[in-house]
Amino acid sequence: MGPTWWKKTVITLAMISACSVSGCGYNDLQGLDEDTKAAWSEVINQYQRRADLIPNLVATVKGYAAHEKETLEGVVNARAKATGIQVTPEVLKDPAAFEAFQKAQAGLTSALGRLIAIAENYPNLKADQNFRDLQSQLEGTENRITVARKRYIDRVAEYNKMVRYFPTNLTAKFLLHLEERPNFTVADEKAVAKPPEVKF
Amino acid sequence: MSRLAFLCFLAAATFSLAPSASALDVPPLTGRVVDLAHVLPNSTVESLTTQLAAHEAQSSNQVAILIIPSLERESLEEFSHRVATTWKLGQQGTDNGALLLVAIQERKVRIEVGYGLEGVLTDARSAQIIRNEIVPRFRTGDMPGGVTAGISAILKTIEGTYQASEKAAPRQESEVIWQVVGAVMAGLLVGLFFMNIHHRLIGPVAGAGISTLMAPWLVPALMASGITLLLLLAIGASGTGGRRSRYSGIDDWVWYSSRGGGWGGGSFGGGGGFSGGGGDFGGGGASGNW
Repeated sequence: MGPTWWKKTVITLAMISACSVSGCGYNDLQGLDEDTKAAWSEVINQYQRRADLIPNLVATVKGYAAHEKETLEGVVNARAKATGIQVTPEVLKDPAAFEAFQKAQAGLTSALGRLIAIAENYPNLKADQNFRDLQSQLEGTENRITVARKRYIDRVAEYNKMVRYFPTNLTAKFLLHLEERPNFTVADEKAVAKPPEVKF
Repeated sequence: MSRLAFLCFLAAATFSLAPSASALDVPPLTGRVVDLAHVLPNSTVESLTTQLAAHEAQSSNQVAILIIPSLERESLEEFSHRVATTWKLGQQGTDNGALLLVAIQERKVRIEVGYGLEGVLTDARSAQIIRNEIVPRFRTGDMPGGVTAGISAILKTIEGTYQASEKAAPRQESEVIWQVVGAVMAGLLVGLFFMNIHHRLIGPVAGAGISTLMAPWLVPALMASGITLLLLLAIGASGTGGRRSRYSGIDDWVWYSSRGGGWGGGSFGGGGGFSGGGGDFGGGGASGNW
């Protein structure tokens, strides 16, 4: 009675320690999964922050350059499009939805770039304290978006590696049912969304 | 085949190394004021350092200045964020750091703001400081005046956001002590259980093993297992009597040994050296040029 009980204890302990030492990756995968979600929340957070700035910015520009209707409407429409996409956890897993989200945000970046560019033509607007503050907030937020995106890219790369590497891929596939996540495809969104430069 | 693999590896290595080699390196954090372009006279560097050190002592905010001759085609924002996160300005947890970066050749200046200061040193406020305090002086060639005025404005803005506290380090140490106490207790329980049904030697060894597994980090773990082993051997030798009186003794011993033994850690090296406190940056702040 005694010896068999003792053996069972040893075997159980050995199995637990083997799993924790050799790394079936269960905990690492779970941790990375949470990390990517947290990094994604930060990305969403910063995009939302940008969207929140826009009504004020549009109103201020309207005060000085109301006849730039096309550009102003472009920004409003692009904002509506970008905020219209519901960012559920499914977006993270579905490459098509992810791309649609990315496209909408890039469209807004581009429309905002045009708006800031026309501001150059209005000295009174450029000197307006409110506009200056909004512009610096917008720049700061664009920079935060860049940082948040970069962190998300790094996290997802790490996570995707774990999902594909052996033997952690077995844990990911059969135990946790985790799949590779789509990542931001273009490293520098600004390069794509930049408005055409006008040179004389 | 193996040669092909080696070639592939070489190619991959060169490609992966190429961008990081061309990127501008983050200079070492030699002090609160790192003037690699040599535009500040020594007296200004000293007075700024004293000012920044006094501010940190009072508020725990860490503000540093970096002046470089050239960005070497790197983006100002990217480099600034890289420097700030590498230097880890600000305290861990509060992220109350800020960096004033000046690139002489490009005539660019940036204030990089840590997460914890974004609420007071907002993007708009940072831009105002650059526009109203720094740029006008830089335009007249007064670099020391511009940096000093900028730093004064930054410090005035973030004053009172945080208070310096002495509590952080000791609390961590006592946390470790309680974890060690917990590990020893668990080890004793398991050990005594095994001793009741098994051999006098297996019990202490099993108990010590449990203590090692449960204690945090290496030194506390060894300490916990040692204590458990000794106690269990002593209990085994003296029979099972007198456990109650021994229990009150265990706590004293653990407290005493952990303090006397001292695994150090918590104390910050005083003296001339300056190092970041572990703060993080999310890209807040503002840029400008003159």
